[in-house]
Order: sequence, then C-alpha cells, then structure tokens
Amino acid sequence: AMATEKCFAKGSPAPGPVPKGQLHLYSMRFCPFAQRTRLALNSKGIKYDTININLKEKPEWFLEKNPLGLVPALETSAGEVIYESSITCEYLDEAYPEKKLLPSSPFGKAQQRMLLEHFSKVIPYFYKIPSARRTGEDVSTQEVELKEKFAKLNEHLEKKKTKFFEGDTITMIDYMMWPFFERIEVLELKHCLDHTPELKKWTERMLEDPAVKATMFNMDTHKAFYKSVAEGKPDYDLGL
Amino acid sequence: KTSSPRCYIVTVYPAPGPVPKDQVRLYSMRFCPFAQRTSLVLHAKGIKFETINIHLKQKPDWFLEKNPEGLVPLIETPAGEVVNESVITSEFLDEMYPEKKLLPATPFGKAQQKMMLEHFSKITPHLFKISSAKRKGDDVSGLEAELKEKFTNLNEHLVKKKTKFFGGDTVTFIDYMMWPFFERLGMFEVQHCLDHTPELKKWTERMLEDPAVKAIMHSTEDHKTFYNNFLDGKPDFDYGL
Repeated sequence: AMATEKCFAKGSPAPGPVPKGQLHLYSMRFCPFAQRTRLALNSKGIKYDTININLKEKPEWFLEKNPLGLVPALETSAGEVIYESSITCEYLDEAYPEKKLLPSSPFGKAQQRMLLEHFSKVIPYFYKIPSARRTGEDVSTQEVELKEKFAKLNEHLEKKKTKFFEGDTITMIDYMMWPFFERIEVLELKHCLDHTPELKKWTERMLEDPAVKATMFNMDTHKAFYKSVAEGKPDYDLGL
Repeated sequence: KTSSPRCYIVTVYPAPGPVPKDQVRLYSMRFCPFAQRTSLVLHAKGIKFETINIHLKQKPDWFLEKNPEGLVPLIETPAGEVVNESVITSEFLDEMYPEKKLLPATPFGKAQQKMMLEHFSKITPHLFKISSAKRKGDDVSGLEAELKEKFTNLNEHLVKKKTKFFGGDTVTFIDYMMWPFFERLGMFEVQHCLDHTPELKKWTERMLEDPAVKAIMHSTEDHKTFYNNFLDGKPDFDYGL
C-alpha cells in the first residue's frame, strides 16, 4: 500500500509499477471529479492505491503516462491508463463485476447516461457563481437558472418516487452527482435547494452511504481548501 | 437495406403511432451531423429502422412531449423507450443489437474509444467557430492553426497505431462518431487543414468507401447550400427532396 497521501510534484520519483491485480488511482484529495472515481472504487470494494498529484507542478513521469495530466486517472498492472471521471467509472463497473453500479439493460444504462448529460450542464454553475461572486458580479440570474435545474432534478425524484435517482438503492448516477452536492454549502449555494425537498432528502440519504462517508470531507476542510485555491496557493496536502 | 420511407417534414402531421415491433424509430434531420452519427450506426449494424425527420424550427408538440429538449437525434423503441444524445443513442444501439459490434468487447477497449471521443469533442466547436468567424470576416488564422494541431494529433494516433481506422483495421464506433464532421470539412472550408496530415487524409478516403457512410452522405455542395441557408436563418430542412 502507498505510504503517503501527500501529493507528488515535479521532480518526485516515479512510483513503482502497478502490482498484478491492482490498480493505481491518480488523484487529488479535494477534486470533485476524482471523488467520483473514489466513490465507485470504494462502493465496489476494489483494491487500489492512491497517488495524489500536485496539479500545479505535475511530475514528469505522470505526464508521460497521461499526457493531458488530468486527474482522476487509473493505471492497471498491464500499464493501461484510463482518464476522465465518467470513463474511469464506467471502466471500473465493467472490469469489476461485483456490486454493479450501472443497470444491466441497455435502456437502463442509457437512462443513467442521459441523466449524467443533464447534470453536466449543472456543474458549470458550481464554478461560475462562486467565481462571479468573488469579482463582485451580480449572480441573481445564474442562481435562478441553477434553482430551475435543481427543480428539474427534484421533479425526477418526485415522479419516480424512488430514494435515489434511478431506484431505491444507490447507482452510478448518484455517485457522479454527489461530489458537487457535498460542496454546495461551502460554495454558498445551499439556499438553491430551498424549494426542492426531494433533492434535499436525497442529499441526506447520500450522507449515510458508506462510500460517501469514506471519501467525503467536512465543510471546514472544504472551506480551507477553497480558501487556499482562491489565494492562488492550493494546499493539496491540507490536513495531512 | 433500410425500410425508411421517403423523408417528409412533420410540422402539422399528427403524432406517429407506436414504433412497430421489429424496428426502432429515428427522429432526425437530414443535414444534422449529430443525427448522422446515429444513422451511421443503424446502417452499419443492419438494424431495421424508420426515420421521421423533424422541422427543427417548428417542432411538433408530440415530439416535444416525447423529448422536452426537442433535439435530434432521438431513438424510440417499440416499448416506447426514448433515448436522446448522439453518443448515448449510438451506444444504446450497439448494446441492444449484438450483431456487428461497433464497440470493442473489453472494458479497456471501450474506455479507449471513449477517451478518443472525448478528445474529438474538443475539435467540433472549432469547426463551427471557424465558419462563423469567416462569415463575419474575422481573422481565422489562429483558430485554423489550433485546428491543424488537433488534426496533427489525430494523424499521429494513426501513425503510431499503424491501423487503417482509429480503433483498428476495420471501422469501429469512434470512426462513425468522427465521420460526420470530416464529411463537412468542405462545408466549413477547412479542407486545407488536412494538408500536412497524410494518414488522416487517407482515413477520410477509406471512410468514403464505407457502405454506411456512402448510404447517407451528402455532397459538399449540398452541405454548403443547407448550411448557408441555415446560417441565414432560413433553413431548408427538406433541401434536395
């Protein structure tokens, strides 16, 4: 097992090859996209080692493996590298058959992918609004738009009458959405959930999930990390 | 091979009935590059389907009921299941119909195709940006340089792999996802951006030999005419009929 959670920066030695039957996850502790992959790994009980990357000073060996230098990225013992959060999650669900997160039917999978596509249009608001606030811009229109999008998600839950987005147990789409909702309070967007009670209840159920509990950070930690980012010196090793 | 009827505009036509049991229905628009992806998959896999073309400026109510976003392509099954988004419909069809698989069988093979598609998704906005900038008379040299760089990356992929197509020596999913935009390089007036990417050029020539591509392609002239009318705000969705 990896000895450290501290991030690897430029000039650091490359980690050894991935042992047979294992997986390396290249990550950053506070990245919401990487958290998606960690949720899938934890939920499915897959054995893996995490190598956190200093995203401001990426190690050369990391860029050799993964020219785009993005996290999350997975590396197998065969040297296969997979990147992009949703691609890593689908890969894991296909390569590790225990505890399937995607439905087996083609239409069930399509439904998950369509919902993910919808949600991909929500994500930019989690960045745009806080960033506009910092420069003193008026964010009221954007907040209205975000509330509308939350209302649609709320409607989905209301119509289906399920505890989670695609059933009464957690599936892939819940994990893909979770990391952003985990950060909603620290991003000062919690009030946008005021008129979406089903969506609120969903967040409360998610907080009970073991994989969420294993990968989440509390509000104070998120706050401290965002502060370090806003100051131009992201503290990737915060708390270690 | 398809059972698609003569294409017709559906604006005030009543809602079509349920999809017959042995086929799927594609809601489309004849010149849409995204719908072309789904159409290519249907043809390549030999799936029985019917097409209903939608007037994208005057969408029928019944279409918006099935699909509130009102976009094409849309696939509807006999069970009334509705799937939208070009890539999602294409994957759905490949999973539903096991003959002539377009995606590889292995999880890593699938992941590789999806990573290539993710890369390619950064190219398509460039094409639209370039043509809209040209129309305004703006300088496109910067945008074209970026496009050439991206084409160079694609070229390098083919050089490294030494394969005829992006996923191997036969046409696979990723080739069909990329093709509609290459079919329109003339329309976007960026064919010269392929000048220094010989493998990529050869790939386009091989794609032009593919039966599914041949079955549904339009000429550069037809693409240009449609696109110009579209950009002028007067799209002729039935152009050529």
